[in-house]
Amino acid sequence: MSKSYKDNLPITASALTDEFMRFKRGSVTRRHFLGVTGLGLAASVMSRGLPGAFNAEAFAGNLGTQMSLATWPNYHDPATFENFTKATGVAVEVNVFGSNEEMLAKLQAGGTGWDLFVPTNYTISTYAKLKLIDPLDMSKLSAFSAATESPRFTHEGTVDGVTYALPKNWGTTGMSINTAKVKTPISSWKQYFEVAMTEADGRAMVHDYQLTTIGSALVSLGYSFNSIKSDELAKAEELLIKLKPHLYGINSDYQPAMRSTDAWMTMCWTNDGAQLARDMPEIIYVLGKDGGEIWTDFYAIPKSAANKPAGYALLNYLMTPENAVKEHIANGAPTTDSRVLAMLPADVTSNKIVYPDEAALTPLEFGAAITLTDPNRAELMARFKAA
Amino acid sequence: MAMTIATRKRLVTALLIGPSAAWLSLFLVLPFIAILVFSVGERAPEGGYQAAFTFAQFMNLPARATAFWNTMILAPVGAFFCLLVAYPTAYYLAIKAPARYRMLLVSLVVVPFWTSLLVRTYAWIFILGARGLPNLLALIGLPDVRLLNTPGAVLLGIVYGYLPLMIMPIYVSLEKLDCRLLEASADLGASPVRSFFNVTLPLSLPGVATGVALVTILLLGEYLIPQLLGGGKVFFIGNALVDLFLQSRNWPYGSAIAVTLVSVVVLIITLAMRLAWRFAGTRQVDLV
Amino acid sequence: MSASDIHDIEFRSVTKRYGDVTAVTDINLAVPKGAFVALLGPSGCGKTTCLRMIGGFEQPSEGDVFIGDIRVNDLPAYRRPVNMVFQHYALFPHLDVENNVAYGLRQQRPRIASAEIGKRVGAALEMVRLTGFGRRRIHELSGGQQQRVALARAIVNKPKVLLLDEPLAALDRKLRTDMQMELQSLQRDLGITFLLVTHDQEEALSMSDLVCVMSAGRIRQFARPQEVYDRPADLFVADFVGKTNKMTVTAEPGLLRLGNGATLPFAGPERGQAVLALRPEAMRIARSGASGGPLVGEVTHRIFLGSLAEYSVAVPGVGEFLISTNRHGLDANDLIEPGEAVSIGYNPEALRLYPA
Repeated sequence: MSKSYKDNLPITASALTDEFMRFKRGSVTRRHFLGVTGLGLAASVMSRGLPGAFNAEAFAGNLGTQMSLATWPNYHDPATFENFTKATGVAVEVNVFGSNEEMLAKLQAGGTGWDLFVPTNYTISTYAKLKLIDPLDMSKLSAFSAATESPRFTHEGTVDGVTYALPKNWGTTGMSINTAKVKTPISSWKQYFEVAMTEADGRAMVHDYQLTTIGSALVSLGYSFNSIKSDELAKAEELLIKLKPHLYGINSDYQPAMRSTDAWMTMCWTNDGAQLARDMPEIIYVLGKDGGEIWTDFYAIPKSAANKPAGYALLNYLMTPENAVKEHIANGAPTTDSRVLAMLPADVTSNKIVYPDEAALTPLEFGAAITLTDPNRAELMARFKAA
Repeated sequence: MAMTIATRKRLVTALLIGPSAAWLSLFLVLPFIAILVFSVGERAPEGGYQAAFTFAQFMNLPARATAFWNTMILAPVGAFFCLLVAYPTAYYLAIKAPARYRMLLVSLVVVPFWTSLLVRTYAWIFILGARGLPNLLALIGLPDVRLLNTPGAVLLGIVYGYLPLMIMPIYVSLEKLDCRLLEASADLGASPVRSFFNVTLPLSLPGVATGVALVTILLLGEYLIPQLLGGGKVFFIGNALVDLFLQSRNWPYGSAIAVTLVSVVVLIITLAMRLAWRFAGTRQVDLV
Repeated sequence: MSASDIHDIEFRSVTKRYGDVTAVTDINLAVPKGAFVALLGPSGCGKTTCLRMIGGFEQPSEGDVFIGDIRVNDLPAYRRPVNMVFQHYALFPHLDVENNVAYGLRQQRPRIASAEIGKRVGAALEMVRLTGFGRRRIHELSGGQQQRVALARAIVNKPKVLLLDEPLAALDRKLRTDMQMELQSLQRDLGITFLLVTHDQEEALSMSDLVCVMSAGRIRQFARPQEVYDRPADLFVADFVGKTNKMTVTAEPGLLRLGNGATLPFAGPERGQAVLALRPEAMRIARSGASGGPLVGEVTHRIFLGSLAEYSVAVPGVGEFLISTNRHGLDANDLIEPGEAVSIGYNPEALRLYPA
């Protein structure tokens, strides 16, 4: 209880400074905010140090001194990159983004300079088709173990038998609800949208992200999360436009608003849901009984990468179970690799937000590739926001 | 052979404007030509641009009418509120402030410009968020007041962010105001209040016009403040453009909107200049 | 008969200080009704400060200022029944000529009907010979025209007193002479008091009924122009108004002893060291050999001015004299050439003696 009491105090000067410093390092969960501004760029340049626990002889050839990673905010343990730099001498510049669409837009426009990036499962076949990513040279990725991966989460990394991407972690898209503010029990997207227009009027959030916002609206209406049928999309648009005046915000950066209790409920990804529930026990994380999204984030190497050896080296480093465990403890998303799962502490693996019962996952759908490029969904989302 | 004076003058002119002309053509004209080409193209199946010649994107403009309308209303309204705050400040700085502190005070107006508008707007998220002002309001018995993500918050952010741009031109026009004109006005029987409305205000109008035009035009392209303080609900045409280029990847449609926006801005400036010329009875009006 | 029936403006023991600097010291001055008065002095003498205290733009540090019989020390400028023509005119650049002139009338309460305003503005413009210029913008006018607009803008309000702060300083010589005459006839027509600040002694002498010569914040002499010229109150006035030849002398009974030992007859009561002042036109010059005077010297320069000729004459042991002569005829021989030896005479009536 003492935590929630503190959270309701006006922010102090030191807390503000702290927030700014975190913001500067690009480690704050502000997907949309940072994505929109493009200012989440941060470089963690470390001096060459002693090699760590990592197997240094894997780095044949010259890795250079600098590489660039495009990922999501608050999605890594900063120590990971520091240790990588100590082991290899390569400094990692971290760019953070707000949506898969935005990453795709940047790669299509060219000149990103990324050597490694983190796309979500449903985008990989499109990247491969557009030849924006390279097939992976598995000989350079000895730390990866296909045998210990769960194919349910990892199969989309392979297109026509060729491996383009290796899994980072999986997760779900559910709802975070502040039960101190919202008394109506919610267990489906249908209820979520109803409460958003009644009890939580002006206090609910949806993502600034077509896949989850349109997908959840479709689910609440009894349609598939991935539908591109025009009549179903029209109904979803109608619902969203009716919802819009009741919303607190359209923003994928929902943690600050939830923590300050400006917002009372939000669409939410696993890792954010776990972080919110950990710090504010009154905020619960719920999966829709009527459906929703299950996803896997991958690592892939852009065809345009400037320093591919370093990209491979970092990817291999991240696939090493000892390193991956630290990553998973830091960001709170579930692992696809049983080697890592075995090393995680019990209080992580028993967390039902992170590792829900199989029954809760059954109604969920993986995002479909077509939703990434479907012009109608893209335009629907843009129209909804501009309405 | 010796250069003639005329040749030398032309050479000096070329040297003076050469760098800016090169810069402008590289970073303004060329991108604008690209936008023009994009605007008559088609969206590629996976997003982006593919070559075509069609005006279909322009036909589609009404789908963004709300955002356009919001922008056309909020930009001048924002500029107006900015003016309401800026004018008294500029007046104080130029006329009332003690001369030895004047430069210090003026620099205080400008100093915030040295930090990013993003960071300063971000600070407003903390102030307007539930842990900021609403929390204090709760202490005096007004629970659950929501300030963030409202049009009022966006307006506040706009006024805050653009204030220096409004203050400076007004300050400059007030500072060069000949105080003997105010003496003349008083001598002819006008009270200080009437002197203000008869002399000071009309003579500072060029600064006001510059400030209003500057802020309005910049606001027409604003997207950061509505995004951060409006929570994505208060939508400017700038936000629509960001969406079209970064999310739905419909470059031709985004380009068509951008071309339309630029045309509207140029039209507004032209009309405003004409009006200003007529008002001032001279062409020596610098609006922008 | 109260003082205000005779005087439009009165300064009573007025002192004005700016911090440590005293601009005006203990001024007492009464400006008679309907007079054209010039405040004359070099820049920094305090004349403009006096004018601005009447206009209401400065407040006296000590003493009282009266307009008519009202003490105006605490009356703001916009309530004072005087109008000023500012040094650089201070015309409103955003208004046309008509609106500049109408400005004062528009401030009056109760309001004046706009037809009446139009009529009075027309009359004022006619008075300054600017009929037809009403729609012109200020920056389209010449300096002389702007000057007249400033005049019209002030007189249209029918002030008790018109204050003029160096009104002609920015005009060229020919225009200035024309305006001097115009101002004079304007003042006669209007019959109101004009108070003119100027540093140009010729202007002060030619236009005004009374001249008030100021220096270093004090009044040196307040008198009619010819009085000021002919009988300067002190050496400063003698020096500032017109040209004056000065020489240090010793006054003895019956004579004045010059630096070269020569003596001049003298009947005054003064004794000891003194300064002798003589106007150039009160002196005569003749070729030596003719009837020489007590002063003999040599012509060093000659300035030929048409009807006049001015000579510089060096008298050894005494100094350099400026002597102005009328030409008597058209004979070229009446001009004396530089280098010629001359003797100098003077009109004893014009001789002034001041304490050294």
